[in-house]
Amino acid sequence: MTEGAHASACDEHADNLVELALGILTGRERASTLAHVDSCPRCAEELEQLAHAADAVVRVAPEIEPPMGFEVRLFSRMGLAEASASYEARHARPLTAARWSKRVPRWVLAGAAAVIALALGLGIGWSMGSRHGGPRPTQGLVGTEIATGDLTANGSTVGSVNTYGGYKPWMVVTLADSSTDGKVTCEVVTDDGVTHEVGSFTATDGYGAWVAPLRVSPQDVRRAEVVSSSGKVIATAALRSVP
Amino acid sequence: MIDGGSTDEALLAGMAVGDQAAAVAFVRRYQRRIFGLAYAMTSDASVAEDVAQEALLRVWRHAPVFDHRRGSVTSWVLTITRNLTIDALRMRRAVPTDPDDFAASAMMSLEHNPEDAIGRGDVSDVMRSALARLPPAQRRAVVLAAVYGRTALEISEEEAIPLGTAKTRIRTGLIRLRAAVEHTRQTEEER
Repeated sequence: MTEGAHASACDEHADNLVELALGILTGRERASTLAHVDSCPRCAEELEQLAHAADAVVRVAPEIEPPMGFEVRLFSRMGLAEASASYEARHARPLTAARWSKRVPRWVLAGAAAVIALALGLGIGWSMGSRHGGPRPTQGLVGTEIATGDLTANGSTVGSVNTYGGYKPWMVVTLADSSTDGKVTCEVVTDDGVTHEVGSFTATDGYGAWVAPLRVSPQDVRRAEVVSSSGKVIATAALRSVP
Repeated sequence: MIDGGSTDEALLAGMAVGDQAAAVAFVRRYQRRIFGLAYAMTSDASVAEDVAQEALLRVWRHAPVFDHRRGSVTSWVLTITRNLTIDALRMRRAVPTDPDDFAASAMMSLEHNPEDAIGRGDVSDVMRSALARLPPAQRRAVVLAAVYGRTALEISEEEAIPLGTAKTRIRTGLIRLRAAVEHTRQTEEER
């Protein structure tokens, strides 16, 4: 195969390499792309890097303490109840308040509280309506989505804002493809017209994402604004309730 | 001696030869990550516990066949968990967590400035940061594909978008995530 023909084959398989790395390529396309990768060191290296990134996506999931009794049930199934007791005796240390707070971040406690509330049957965990008939939003770890809105600047969409209720209300601000760079402040305006500062975050080359607790009721928030360090409103989002 | 400070590989090797202390230490190291992944995907504590128990049992049984040349222990364990969760959702006809909520739960655990994550070189935080920077439509498509195993065709149907758009979102999103991971790897190598 000539160099040009080989490069053309690489281009032909470029899209499929991504899907192969994600494990979602099937049938004849999968067989053909695998055959190409076998004969092309450059695409083999590309596939390895893409697969590394694809595998790492599941790593973003938060760590959550399993329910009470999880270990007892597991070790019993593994026939390790005695080993567990012996390990505990050798490694036991007093669980001081400092060790606990270091081991369990605040948000995990919030998540654990949601799990406990779920276990107690307080109603957290039901499913809500779907936008497109696919996976549906659920309440639980992240709370119910209350409102959403596009962040716009000069008529263009430059990001999004979502607010969540539940155990502790919070909001997500995402900037993408904006002209923002540097430290910015997020503010929300409530029904009574009062502006509340939520906090500051840093946008880099137009991109930034930020999660923060809301100290006002998310149901009362009508508008969110991203403000530059000089006090200029860079982008605004009118929030609409999520049905 | 195997203890809580041993590497993942050492604990797995210990489990492979029947060292019970290694198995206990491994379970205590990984149970929060495994349960966390299953819960983030299902929003159902009962399903998540069943999946987490089964995942740890499989790791324990299959420890002798783990091949470190094919990837890290963490990737292996979380892939087992992910696949079991997909199976559990399918078998129970349960409703999975919406991809936006899955991503939001990940972003909640990124407490610091995303720039700090790259400085620390922690793959989980780097990926959380990179995922947070993706445009929402790309983030949703990548989570659907990488976490829930949806094909481009399934994503196009579920999201009511053309197949070409679904493919573009998946491709552009994953390439951006790869750039973040590779940037961290290069930064580590330069140190």
